Amino acid sequence: MKKLSICLVTLLWAASLFSSASLAATNLPDNLLWLTNDQDPVYASPNAIKGGTLRNMLISFPLTLRYVGPDSNGSFRPAVLGNQMSLIEEHPNTHNLLPALATHWAYSDDNTTMYFKLNPHAKWSDGKPVKASDYAFTLTFMRSKEIVAPWYNTYYKKQIKEVIIYDEHTISVSTTKPKPRDELHSHISITPTPQHFYADMSNFVRKFNWKIAPNTGAYQISKIKKGKSITFSRKKNWWAKDLKYYKNRFNVDKVRYSVIRDLNIGWEYFLKGKLDSFVTTLPLYWHKKATGPEFDNGYIHKLWFYTDAPMPSVGLWLNQDKPLFKDINIRLALAHAFNIEKVNQQVLRGDYSRKHNIHSGFGKYTNTKIKAREYNLDKADKYFNKAGWEKRGRDGIRVNKAGQRLSIPVTYGNEAHTPRLVVLKEEYKKAGVELVLRKMDSAASFKSVLEKKHDAWWGGLIGGRKPQYWGQFHSENAHKSQTNNFTNTDDSKIDTMIDAYRSAMKTDERIKLAHALQQRIHDLGAWIPRLDTPYIRIAYWQWIQFPDVPGTRMGGPAISAFDLSQGGLFWIDKKLKKTTLTARKKGTTFTPVTRIDETFKVNIQ
Amino acid sequence: MHFQLNPLTQKKIQRFKSIRRGYYSFILFTLIVLLSCFAEILVNSRALLVHYEGSWHFPTYGAVIPGKVFGLDYSYETNYRELEKHFNNDSKNFIIMPPIPFNAYENDLKTSAFPPFPPSFKDSHYLGTDTIGRDVAARLIYGFRTAIFFSLILLVVSYLVGVSIGAAMGYFGGLFDLLFQRIIEIWSNIPFLYVIMIVSSIMIPNFLTLIAIILLFGWIQLTWYMRTVTYKEKAREYVMAAKALGASHSRVIFYHILPNTISIIITFIPFSLASGIIALTSLDFLGFGLPAPTPSWGELLSQGSNNLESLWIVSSVIVSMTVILVMVAFIGEAIREAFDPKQHTTYE
Repeated sequence: MKKLSICLVTLLWAASLFSSASLAATNLPDNLLWLTNDQDPVYASPNAIKGGTLRNMLISFPLTLRYVGPDSNGSFRPAVLGNQMSLIEEHPNTHNLLPALATHWAYSDDNTTMYFKLNPHAKWSDGKPVKASDYAFTLTFMRSKEIVAPWYNTYYKKQIKEVIIYDEHTISVSTTKPKPRDELHSHISITPTPQHFYADMSNFVRKFNWKIAPNTGAYQISKIKKGKSITFSRKKNWWAKDLKYYKNRFNVDKVRYSVIRDLNIGWEYFLKGKLDSFVTTLPLYWHKKATGPEFDNGYIHKLWFYTDAPMPSVGLWLNQDKPLFKDINIRLALAHAFNIEKVNQQVLRGDYSRKHNIHSGFGKYTNTKIKAREYNLDKADKYFNKAGWEKRGRDGIRVNKAGQRLSIPVTYGNEAHTPRLVVLKEEYKKAGVELVLRKMDSAASFKSVLEKKHDAWWGGLIGGRKPQYWGQFHSENAHKSQTNNFTNTDDSKIDTMIDAYRSAMKTDERIKLAHALQQRIHDLGAWIPRLDTPYIRIAYWQWIQFPDVPGTRMGGPAISAFDLSQGGLFWIDKKLKKTTLTARKKGTTFTPVTRIDETFKVNIQ
Repeated sequence: MHFQLNPLTQKKIQRFKSIRRGYYSFILFTLIVLLSCFAEILVNSRALLVHYEGSWHFPTYGAVIPGKVFGLDYSYETNYRELEKHFNNDSKNFIIMPPIPFNAYENDLKTSAFPPFPPSFKDSHYLGTDTIGRDVAARLIYGFRTAIFFSLILLVVSYLVGVSIGAAMGYFGGLFDLLFQRIIEIWSNIPFLYVIMIVSSIMIPNFLTLIAIILLFGWIQLTWYMRTVTYKEKAREYVMAAKALGASHSRVIFYHILPNTISIIITFIPFSLASGIIALTSLDFLGFGLPAPTPSWGELLSQGSNNLESLWIVSSVIVSMTVILVMVAFIGEAIREAFDPKQHTTYE
């Protein structure tokens, strides 16, 4: 019986395979313009040396090595996915496309399909070649019920239409709906899935929980100590090691992740030299913890690296379904009484920069003309008075004619933000506004925001590489729960622009519309911008070496060992490691180094 | 004076007074609690008294006085510390500030340095500031007031429930007793901390809801003791006599049995008081207590333990906690001595 059911499953699968991937049924269109890229600058350093072990920490041991299915969305997932190559990658500095598993690509005229010429040398980590059918199998795999990943099931059914195999090294991937040129590849550049490895998918979740799946990237897991550590080893004969954009990258021989359950203890390990680097972006780490003999003696260096990547849309989201926020005067008044600069300058050490636009860091898509409303109590006062909140009560908080106090509950879910809100609360008192801080568990706070129960929400969303508006500002998503329109914006002008933006295919047109949309969002004032963190800061032992520009526009210094688009730029200088360790024993010193790299810093005046 | 203390009670008080460390702790403790009721006079950003252009102002308990009243250029609440500096060159006007001129909420930030600031007499931050520039002494004192009144209210309500149920169990016995014993056994196996965590994740706890949640699990302890003593007392002749006279159940329990078990209750009070303070502090420490920015010891403790290099935060709260809890323990010890039934019995 069991055998029969397995047979059936296999049959069903084969059937679905044929339906999603028509094998050489059609011919390639004649007029394809094949593109490739070897013109963009290389961002790795020719001085890189191979060898050494990079030691990282993990807060908890992963619950699985799968990258789909239950428990797979943990902090270890990037390490697994970072070694799965896509058809093409994006250059992290120029944003042009780069060859990866495909050497050439071409677009269809209807903006739904891309064609790829596959690199014939591509190999899985078990030595088997990467076949065209492995791409078609990705659809079967991602659509199958066995992986227990409903989001992926839906995405690969509704967004990706099909993979067509023309010959062994030529395929095409299409989306169900046309996408703008500059976005199409991000939907279409899928990763292959090793069909030979997943031959039997029954009981997928349990069977493949701890199986090491073949990959195409530079490293593969070589050792697992359950509950303690996971080690990746560099593939000595990685098929892509001499390709232009992968040369001199992925230099360390081994990358070991050890479980250290507490950040403070992790920091102590780092100071002892048992971890090679540590992220010190938070002011507390950068200014206070990252001081002392190891830093003064030059054993550990510090790096402040500015990036130019899309920033999360952090702000104060005012729910316009609440009667108070229906009045634009109140919204504008609150923006003018928002003394975030005081928080930044006097509590956060001025490390952050004021956010002006809901979509900052999106390159040309960002409308840099928009400036956040400045802190000005007189202006705030005028707007409050206009809205009918002239009088102040005994406690200095404004009251309207109906005797209602101007008290605003602010929902938030991050304990680390309490200090900022506490200072803002005191500042808002000056304007005659009472903020009531509603700190909830982060999941619970987001749930209440999704259900639109909030008055004001202190939070933000991390988006994709291109700005999106429909989910957050279209009236179709207003006044209902489980949508991202947290301000309940219901504005016909915005709706028209969003519809135009979604159907526009030309980049120029989209940029123009994005700018107009950002301006309209600013004018409505239901979203008050907070602060941006356009940088990453790390501390690292001096034997870690970086290229002249230690990172890329999109990411911080490439202390991430794997990411195929921007990781693996650093290397370990073993000689220097020996010298440093003996110097520390003997007490000899080096010059302390704090490096600030502003290559990608964006200056907003 | 028509109110005459029972000679036995007088004897107990006498004995309590003779245990000196307990007695002095009691006086000191009462004094601190009383003083904390008037914390606004001692610790406040509002001035006690302002004499401006011939008129007198007493801002402490009144409405907000906007800066414009004192010739300043803003309409929000006057910053009296700055007003004091402003008045310094002026002989006509003067201002009297409280000994600690900060409230527990305001951020006293500087442009040249970043909080936490160490203790400084010059800035009147006698115990320094916390990580967002709030005065540690002010937060300590207001936090104490919150904690002690929280604990007192919790004590009263949980004793009301615990004593009534315990006494009823002992008095009625039988099925009622059996049923409640099982209920309590099951109830006490519910992990208290998880319940708190779940509740505070779906709603924002306030002073009263926190008391209610802790009460939900706090009444159990006393019931066992009350049940046992009531069982013992129930069998005595005076109870039978009262019943024979036709007294109702509640009259027998509350007028006859309860006064004879009072020594047990009183003995537990100081320890319950201490545990109430500890409960609130630990909940605040874990972030499940009163919402920010309520001044609280637990919040200070968690700030202190995250900023061990700013020793003044953690040391002030630990020293205060130790002093208060030791005092309470001394009082408890003295009460237990004074009420020891081995020396005084109220039945013949």
